[in-house]
Amino acid sequence: MSALHAEWTKAWTVPGTAWLLAGVVTLTPLLGVLAASSMAEGGDPARTSLLGVTLGQAAVVGLAVATVSGEYGTGMIRTTLTAVPRRLAVLRAKAFLVCMLTVAGGTAAVGASVAAGDALLPEGLSIAQGPVLRAAVGSVLYLALVGLLGVGVAALVRDAATAVGLVLGLLFLTPIVASLVSDPDWRERLLEWSPMTAGLAVQATVDLGSQPIGPWQGLGVLAAWASAALLAGAAALRLRDAS
Amino acid sequence: MEATIEVVGVRKRFGGTTALDGMSFTVTPGQVTGFVGPNGAGKSTTMRVILDLDSADAGHAHVGGRPYRELRRPLEHVGSLLDAGALQPSRSARNHLRWLAHSQGLPASRVEEVIHLTGIASAARRRAGGFSLGMRQRLGIAAALLGDPPVLMLDEPFNGMDPEGIVWMRTFLRQKAAEGRAVLVSSHLMSELQDTADHLLVVGRGRVIADTSVAALIAAASGDRVCLRTTARTPAMTVLAAAGATVAATGADSLTVSGLAAAGVVAALNANDVPFTEVSPHRASLEEAYMELTREAVEFRAAGS
Amino acid sequence: MTNSIRAEWTKFRTVRGWVIGLLTAIPLTVLIGLLGPLGSSFDCAGPNGAQCRGNTPPIGPDGTPVFDTFYFVHRTLTGDGSVTARVGALRDAEPWAKAGLLLKEGTTSGSRYAAVLLTGGHGVRMQYDFTEDIAGPSPDEDRQWLRLTREGTTLTGETSSDGRRWSTVGTVRLDFGERVELGMFVSSPQHLETSNTFGGRLDRGAPTVATTSFDQVRTTGAAAEDWRGTAVGIDPAREHEVGFTDDGGDLTITGTGDIAPIPASAGSLGKTAENALVGAFAGLVAVLVVAALFATSEYRRGIIRTSFTANPRRGQLLAAKAVVVGGLSFVVGAVSSALALPLVERAELAEGFFQHPTTWLTELRLVLGTGLLFAVAAVLAVALGMFLRRGALTVTAVVVGVVLPYLLAVASVLPTGPAEVLVTVTPAAAFAIQQSVEEYPQVAASYTPADGYFPLSPTGGLVVLCGYAAVAVVLAAIATRRRDA
Repeated sequence: MSALHAEWTKAWTVPGTAWLLAGVVTLTPLLGVLAASSMAEGGDPARTSLLGVTLGQAAVVGLAVATVSGEYGTGMIRTTLTAVPRRLAVLRAKAFLVCMLTVAGGTAAVGASVAAGDALLPEGLSIAQGPVLRAAVGSVLYLALVGLLGVGVAALVRDAATAVGLVLGLLFLTPIVASLVSDPDWRERLLEWSPMTAGLAVQATVDLGSQPIGPWQGLGVLAAWASAALLAGAAALRLRDAS
Repeated sequence: MEATIEVVGVRKRFGGTTALDGMSFTVTPGQVTGFVGPNGAGKSTTMRVILDLDSADAGHAHVGGRPYRELRRPLEHVGSLLDAGALQPSRSARNHLRWLAHSQGLPASRVEEVIHLTGIASAARRRAGGFSLGMRQRLGIAAALLGDPPVLMLDEPFNGMDPEGIVWMRTFLRQKAAEGRAVLVSSHLMSELQDTADHLLVVGRGRVIADTSVAALIAAASGDRVCLRTTARTPAMTVLAAAGATVAATGADSLTVSGLAAAGVVAALNANDVPFTEVSPHRASLEEAYMELTREAVEFRAAGS
Repeated sequence: MTNSIRAEWTKFRTVRGWVIGLLTAIPLTVLIGLLGPLGSSFDCAGPNGAQCRGNTPPIGPDGTPVFDTFYFVHRTLTGDGSVTARVGALRDAEPWAKAGLLLKEGTTSGSRYAAVLLTGGHGVRMQYDFTEDIAGPSPDEDRQWLRLTREGTTLTGETSSDGRRWSTVGTVRLDFGERVELGMFVSSPQHLETSNTFGGRLDRGAPTVATTSFDQVRTTGAAAEDWRGTAVGIDPAREHEVGFTDDGGDLTITGTGDIAPIPASAGSLGKTAENALVGAFAGLVAVLVVAALFATSEYRRGIIRTSFTANPRRGQLLAAKAVVVGGLSFVVGAVSSALALPLVERAELAEGFFQHPTTWLTELRLVLGTGLLFAVAAVLAVALGMFLRRGALTVTAVVVGVVLPYLLAVASVLPTGPAEVLVTVTPAAAFAIQQSVEEYPQVAASYTPADGYFPLSPTGGLVVLCGYAAVAVVLAAIATRRRDA
């Protein structure tokens, strides 16, 4: 618990954290507003309004990676591990902190996106509808899981820029590759296993059958990616010298 | 114009803090100039202004009569060491020196020369990230020597050096000065400069508070005080006070006398049959002289001391 | 300046991680490109195990895969000759349904031809060898006269509203053999509807037929024989839908299909050169990370002060970094695409895909263009890195700016309108340099970013990215000059 408190203090005493959270909260609804206002008709209103999650996740990745890699960049990690020698406790505290921050920022971002969608879309968007609520809550969870993925990868590779490149590469490249694979089975498989497309399946509120994967199973796929990254990061943190 | 460093009326503010408040001095070739002052006195900022890394709000700093930014191959005019830790950890020492040499159009052979001059040949292939602070200082010195410059400017070069390194550094600095170069060395510890510097620039609160030779500074701090060693401390104090001197006890059998020359002290003691074993003119240490000077200039005094 | 460039080059090559990172872009580009064909196969077995039609389409004279499906009513012509007919308008037909006069080397799909024809919605045209299209007048009459004449190697297509005053639609020189087939044809392409909404794209297509009348038919030079009807390239299962009747010289012809190049599209089985370059995204991300690190590590370690001490003209440091990273990235981009193009294409051919052919000039543009794309994007990353001074922030900004718009526009996430805006105004516009597919105005198809068609020209797109890079360079130059190091 004291480890968490320490991480909390560290997070708030660097200006980057607040900026990145502000990025999540502003960028997400911004793209949602652009999408909703350019939308003629049809499509999936929830998905349209929540399109900004694709952009907001970049700030989440930045936040998660900064929480871990920031310490390696400055040698601060030695101080941290001296204060809390149980390294896994440090990682756990960081992961929990990133989760909390992302859920808080993500809730604001998603709430604003849904409100914007309701105002701008011709058919409106009500959070009271079950699928819309699921899409909204799922989007917040999606952001949190992306944050955990970032924490894991950052603990694994340590360098911030490399970690961001890896995570964004993983998120963005799989759908692009999938769109160019012509075999339907393979495409389906790629979309099912891609953390971004699978994870964002939770935003679908219409035509669920055309989605590569069910909403909650999709989040499960992303959770699997995040867990794998965290495990690898934990192993690396445990086994490597802190330098 | 002889190659040297000239700082004239430089002012620099960082936000609400005044870092430099009319800093002015000239560094003379052929001697080691110590640049001393407490932490935060503006030594590093002055050096950064000289190298055009920070811009001065007022005044100017010249190297060899010209602003630093006008120098074509600056490392051939002034060699500097500001932050020995400023290294890409995965790059080897030799490669660090290589890119610097390339930036000045210097041949690769010069890199090998400075590697040998600074005694880092055995470590030159290792990644600089694994260097001890002392090794980094040597690597920094090697970088400063690359262009064989007539002016050297080193910020706290003794930091992190082992005793052997300190001896090496002192010899090295004296040698460079003997070759006719101007050498400016900053330190916050006067003792490090005691046997190295010929001339001192003492700074406090962003300006020079003393610009003097080491000998003159010590003489000034010593004043006309006399050290007295005696087994009869109390009678001696009474006698000397009566003779018009100010007396302070500095130990169980030693006194410092001021206001009376050594001959006067001896005469007064002899006249009253007070025994003593030694009378000598007081010679202040450089540290004392410095403490005296900077007493008011110290901004950050440890609480309770 | 040469000294600065040399110094930056030494800086770069002496950090092994950067060299490895940059070189990784090459295998990344190639291997991810190979994922496409290796992960794709089609088992398109029709009933009774017959090979599906259309997997390997006919190939036109210049190597372009083509549609060559239509109903042909023809006679054999040896030497010079002509055909004239009055053709009934195609009412309520597909805009690119065609009825007209055709001279073709034979009845084999993909053979050369010239035609003057009436379309459902685009007036009279003269077309030949699939990719060529000359527009003629758009008549109002119900019936329009057409004439196609061969004299030596000159083919002339003419049209008239009354059969007396003729105007030339086009004259082309085409060298056919002596014996050709001459006559009338009707074709009608697939009806295509693409609904492209958020998160999904739905292509709906249905085959169509068109019927029209040809009267006052006259041929000169052709064999005096009965009209023969041939269903060229038409699926045998649909042959009963097409045919012709000859009512004493007045013919009525029903046809389906199209005579046109096949445009590449998202759903088509044909592979394009840009399919081979999909891995360039992964390669580009690697290059961007290295470029950003090359700039920001100066600040992270305080080396920037050493660099500025070595050369106080700060703009030169930025310029030297841009030259070194830009040059290296160009080489990496060009090499990785030069490797990916032939390797991936070979793998695709081995898997049985057909290729939309590209000329060597286009391939050269793709290779050099990918190099330039990598180079300019890397310069953007370096400049942004010098401006922002934070590695992670720089990588986030550049990857989001360059890759995310492409993802949203191309991977079928956005509807066409916003998608086209995105690949026009964002740095992702530069991927237009990788477009090898050609838009054919005479073929109705979905020409959207998702299909590989960019709104901007290849150079236009690259210029957009250059604009972003230039702004970043200016920002970085001002910042490095003003800021205390």
